Amino acid sequence: MTEWAVELKGVRKTYRTGPIEVPALRGLSLRVAPGEFVATAGPSGSGKTTLLNIIGGLDGADAGEVLVAGQSLHLLSSGELAQLRLERIGFVFQTYNLLPVLTALENAEFTLLLQGVPTHERREKVKKLFSEIGLAGLEDRRPAELSGGQQQRVAVARAMVTEPALILADEPTANLDSATAISLLDVMEHLNRATGTTFIFSTHDPQVMERAHRLIRLRDGQIASDETREQGAAVG
Amino acid sequence: MKGSLLLVKVSWRNLWRNPRGTSLTALALGLGLALLLISLGLLDGGHEQTIADGVRLGPGHVVIQAKGYQDSSSDELLLPSRVVFRIEGFLQSGDMKHVVRGISPRLLANGLLSSSANAAGVRIMGVIPHDEQAVSLIPLRIVAGTYLSNDSLSAVVIGAGLARKLEVKIGSKVVLMTQALRQPSTDTKNGAGEEMQSTLLRVSGIFRTGLQAVDATIIHLPSAAARTLLGVADGHVTQVALLLEREGDAPLVAGALRQQLTEAPIEVLTWRESIPMLAQILGLDHAFNYIMNGVILVTVGLGILNTILMRVLERRYEFGVCKALGLRPLQLAVMVIGESLALTVISLALGLALGLSVNHHFATSGLDLRWVFTTGLPPALVFDPILYSRLTSERIVWSVGIVFAMATIISLYPALKAARTELPDALKVL
Repeated sequence: MTEWAVELKGVRKTYRTGPIEVPALRGLSLRVAPGEFVATAGPSGSGKTTLLNIIGGLDGADAGEVLVAGQSLHLLSSGELAQLRLERIGFVFQTYNLLPVLTALENAEFTLLLQGVPTHERREKVKKLFSEIGLAGLEDRRPAELSGGQQQRVAVARAMVTEPALILADEPTANLDSATAISLLDVMEHLNRATGTTFIFSTHDPQVMERAHRLIRLRDGQIASDETREQGAAVG
Repeated sequence: MKGSLLLVKVSWRNLWRNPRGTSLTALALGLGLALLLISLGLLDGGHEQTIADGVRLGPGHVVIQAKGYQDSSSDELLLPSRVVFRIEGFLQSGDMKHVVRGISPRLLANGLLSSSANAAGVRIMGVIPHDEQAVSLIPLRIVAGTYLSNDSLSAVVIGAGLARKLEVKIGSKVVLMTQALRQPSTDTKNGAGEEMQSTLLRVSGIFRTGLQAVDATIIHLPSAAARTLLGVADGHVTQVALLLEREGDAPLVAGALRQQLTEAPIEVLTWRESIPMLAQILGLDHAFNYIMNGVILVTVGLGILNTILMRVLERRYEFGVCKALGLRPLQLAVMVIGESLALTVISLALGLALGLSVNHHFATSGLDLRWVFTTGLPPALVFDPILYSRLTSERIVWSVGIVFAMATIISLYPALKAARTELPDALKVL
């Protein structure tokens, strides 16, 4: 039996603000195999971010089941979810979200430190990753001293450095110019191929969709289309 | 806890994200501690002085009197000479002689002192000049003339207020009139009991204590002259006043005396029992000071709570990111508490430096309050208008501990707030 990297079964999520109910996911089912490079696309309010939050255990589903690496998330306590995120899932946010008081290197090794990895091993991993993704020499800079693209690369490094099985990226290129966005996608695709890490990212950007190996389009909290292809396919 | 060092590092650096805010908060908390130290130093120093002056103007640290004297104030209750000898013998033996600085037997009575110009009611204190000088403050506060000497039988020392009222100066003649004491052991038919007696005295010294009640009523004359006037047998006294090396030994000395003289009809009182008003005033002053210090600490504490809470609320998104990356609620709380503790340590260093410096100044040069009491001290107070601070190491440890505990407790709420950062809501801020 195949163990899916991510499996959603009839997931429902509704947000409530007073008497107003806004359904975000309406019985969504999805399977992502290990090592896939998946983009989710769709208009605002289609459920992209909610989907990523639920897969990452940042938010809970109202109904249905979410499994990450075969583990059912609704059975886990908040502490176990935190541990799962720390060990198995990497996050890349739209606005980079580096800790402003830490250097690029310290930001990247943040999760390793929380895992209790020894200093020497930590530094070695981060430096290797930095040189792979073009951040060598920027280790001691604070986020404010880095460009947007560099900050997002540090964020990717922070997500990748623990060698998670899954990386969730919520519109990672939204704040980047197109050249920087392409460069970041190169990095992510390279890491996907080199390490076999599963990537799921949300985007509005057609050039990002083009690079996805699988493109899932969402509409009104449901999957409108799900196409698997080799990279470079035109996006209509 | 894994990553503790990083959390400490993050906490420390977070402090300096807003250096001005951090400095102001540290200064506020430091000032709170400094104020606490200064006020405690002045309070303790002032109380120590007040007690020292109060007991030296009154009955000493410990007083031995005939049983019932404290309640009745009857001057006819006297200590027999054999009891006085036993007291003196005990206090000058063994360890006691190192504890007791002075012993002064006193004969007390009320009288009327007249000059050619005026007359005033007075409190007569018949004293042995040499002994009294070791106990009382009055010989040290002579502003004109000299204090009594052992051979000046017709001399009297009076307060400046009384001298003004009687319009007398050094060398002036005054007449002291009083009623001879009726003693239970004395045959009243011998003519001494209850008869008015008078004697001519010459003012040899004028003192000023600043305490109106003392300066206007107390007179000192040699005990031999007082005994003759009052018709009291040799060696009999109203009280034996003791001045100790340390105020704290008063209960010990009083206890030892009570044990030594169990069968004698006497009462042995510490200054707290013999001058309860002074003890109450000091107790009230302590309570008031603690309340004031509490108000200062609460005010400063609320300021710190506000600062730390604002910092936490401003960083809700950052905490959300940390939580998304796998930081547990406890680790987030530790980060906030660490930040608060780092701020507290800086503040304590500032507060200690400031508080101890000011205390040192007040301990050596004193705080001169004479400008407050230009017309003399209030009648209920006995203290030197120059306050000298006295800060013990226990007080310092206590103050630092209180401020540290307060800052730690205050940081718990913001820490809880950070720990309870809700996902994914916290990530929606931007």
